[in-house]
Amino acid sequence: MALDTAPKGWRSFARYSMLTIVALFILFPVYTTVIAALKPGNKVLDNPLVPDAFTLDVLKDAWTQGRLGRYLMNTTVVALIITSVQLVTSIASAYAFSFLKFPMKRLIFGIFLSTMLVPLEVTLVVNRRTIDSLGWLNSFQGLTIPFVATAFGTFLLRQVFMQIPPDLREAAQMDGLGHWGFMKEVAIPLVRPTLGALGLFSFLSSWNQYLWPSLITTEDDMNTLQTGLRLLASSDLDKPNLIMAGTIIAAVPILIVLVVFQKQLVRGLTAGAVKG
Amino acid sequence: MKTPNKSRFLLAGLTASALLFAACGGGGSSSIIDSGSTEAPAAGDSSAPTAAPTTVATPLASLPPCDTTALDAVTETIDITFWHGMNGDLEDSLTALTDEYNASQTKVKVSLENQGGYEQTLDKYLQSSQDSRPEMVQAPEYAVQVMGDTDSNVPVGACLESAAYDTSDFLPKALNQYFTEGVQWSMPFNVSDPVLYYNKKVFEAAGLDPNKPPTNMAELRTMSQAIVDSGAAGYGLSLDTGADSGGGWFLEQWFAKLGELFSDNDNGRLAPSTKVNFDSQVGTDLLTDLQSLVNDGLAYNVGDNASGQDALLKLADPDKAAAMTIATSAALGTVLTTVQGGLIPGITTDDIGVGPMPAPGDADAPGAIVGGASLWIVNHDDPAKTAASWDFISFLISAESQSTWAAATGYVPVRSSALEVGAIAEKYKTDPRFKVAYDQLLQAADTPASLGAILGPQREIRALSARAIATVLQGGDVAAALADAATQANALLSAYIAANQ
Repeated sequence: MALDTAPKGWRSFARYSMLTIVALFILFPVYTTVIAALKPGNKVLDNPLVPDAFTLDVLKDAWTQGRLGRYLMNTTVVALIITSVQLVTSIASAYAFSFLKFPMKRLIFGIFLSTMLVPLEVTLVVNRRTIDSLGWLNSFQGLTIPFVATAFGTFLLRQVFMQIPPDLREAAQMDGLGHWGFMKEVAIPLVRPTLGALGLFSFLSSWNQYLWPSLITTEDDMNTLQTGLRLLASSDLDKPNLIMAGTIIAAVPILIVLVVFQKQLVRGLTAGAVKG
Repeated sequence: MKTPNKSRFLLAGLTASALLFAACGGGGSSSIIDSGSTEAPAAGDSSAPTAAPTTVATPLASLPPCDTTALDAVTETIDITFWHGMNGDLEDSLTALTDEYNASQTKVKVSLENQGGYEQTLDKYLQSSQDSRPEMVQAPEYAVQVMGDTDSNVPVGACLESAAYDTSDFLPKALNQYFTEGVQWSMPFNVSDPVLYYNKKVFEAAGLDPNKPPTNMAELRTMSQAIVDSGAAGYGLSLDTGADSGGGWFLEQWFAKLGELFSDNDNGRLAPSTKVNFDSQVGTDLLTDLQSLVNDGLAYNVGDNASGQDALLKLADPDKAAAMTIATSAALGTVLTTVQGGLIPGITTDDIGVGPMPAPGDADAPGAIVGGASLWIVNHDDPAKTAASWDFISFLISAESQSTWAAATGYVPVRSSALEVGAIAEKYKTDPRFKVAYDQLLQAADTPASLGAILGPQREIRALSARAIATVLQGGDVAAALADAATQANALLSAYIAANQ
């Protein structure tokens, strides 16, 4: 309104000031975390906003004392397994819902989607009992299998599969491509940006999982980064910033992933936003 | 490929109604309580018939046996997994003791598994099938009833009987904390109680005697006023509303100090409690006092004490520090190490004073109830494992181990004979601050009121009172907040009794 009619310079000035203010709000806790992590443990309470003393000791302590190396490996393995298997299951089920004809397709898809309304917490106790009775506590199966299929991924991919013109499918059929061939040669290459975005989403959310790993791990060797940080948080009163250092270490890999794949993420988001 | 999907939507159907219900109930914090109250009885259901939670004596013969001689015939090393909730310095001390035990003999090898804290340990234990449970578990003092009702343990009492173990030098309060229905369920290991930590330098600066900490709320108020008026510190007291400290545990402590029952049926020791008493005049007066401390700027409320250390750290706040706080004696070792590290400029370890927990109002009421945790033997129908667990327990509660443990941490030794040996004998002589918590436990009679309550949903009830106290310290109406919490607590008590009948 007022902004739209204002001169161009003013508009971008207002826009950037807004963005700067919001960015400051978002970055402030990150800033204090970094500052605190770089101070010696006994200096963390004086001048919390000023970086007046620097040391890497706390970061080192967090790494060794917190066994973050081991946890980092666990988290990476878990996130990679969940992401790759989720992509496979989502492609397969989304393909079926878009290109195959079978009875009660709409109903089944509806039921499928309704699982998106059920948060993890609701199925937590039941799932934990199942994993327990399978003897999968403290195992990578237990950490990954419950998450290898996702209604969200199926939905997202179905929407983009539906945008593929039926003519293309017919043309492929003429050329002798079956369902597998069509999926491999035509459908998947066409939706690659969405696959990238979905993969990134899966990776981010499995990387940041806390509740599930905390419930099914009882051995230290199977802790993930997030559950390991919990142990670090309650360790030492004389190093209140140990946990700050730990969170920074835990955040670095995911930040790198984000920066590298930012394009896919944004492209995937807008692709999903267009009506299918 | 699609099987997981199928099972997920089946689950979705099953849980749809639960979801709707939860959505109507609405409220993040209440869900903790809801899930807590359902998990406790559920755990009991999973195993065979559940013992009715009465204090009608359960004969030991009806419980899994303990033959402490079963270890004699063993030729191979028995591996024992021990789930615990000790973190930081406490974990280091526990590891040192365990290493010492493992090195001292070849029949038993104990592996420690840190579960992250008491709550996590208890949650995982209650949720696990018997096969996934460890051989030994450390469970907090508020979990006695819940743990007993899982029917998954070998009562330590059976081992005491089998080994003809002499407990005459044990603190009766420590043993009694884990004794209901005529059964000694578990063995006290780390016993703590709340003490007052204070900054002697501030007391001096305010013209107060640094060796005379307040013994009750009335004195605490006068002294806080002097501290704030003189500008020696920003606040007199730092308070918190955590369930395991200022929001729940301390409330039970204050009732016990006054000799008031926290709940009916003799604090749940005669029969299961059906009703809590914290909405009585005693509770209202107590919280009105605390509220006025905060309102008058004499006390600072740090909130839910999520780290367990927030109230203590307020003493080191460079901006408007507090001069005193109430915290568990188990923090003493850590506090002294921290102060030594120079966390508070100009303060040495000698400037940290420790006094008994102040009593409510102007009462002269020393004494405390037992906090901390105890050791439980898990029943795996394997006499050798049971005997091995008992062997490790008897090591941990030996006078020597208790002496080492107490001197390193600030926990109270569970037996008086520990005071004559090793590190704690020296410590109690040279540093009387460590003895405050011990003396406190001996200063009150062992009546049901002063022993404190044993409740099925005790953890959930603490969460409720913590919420009420948080409301009160933020200026809410005292009587209304307590009445509301009491109503919900009573509903939890009846639900627990119904579920475990």
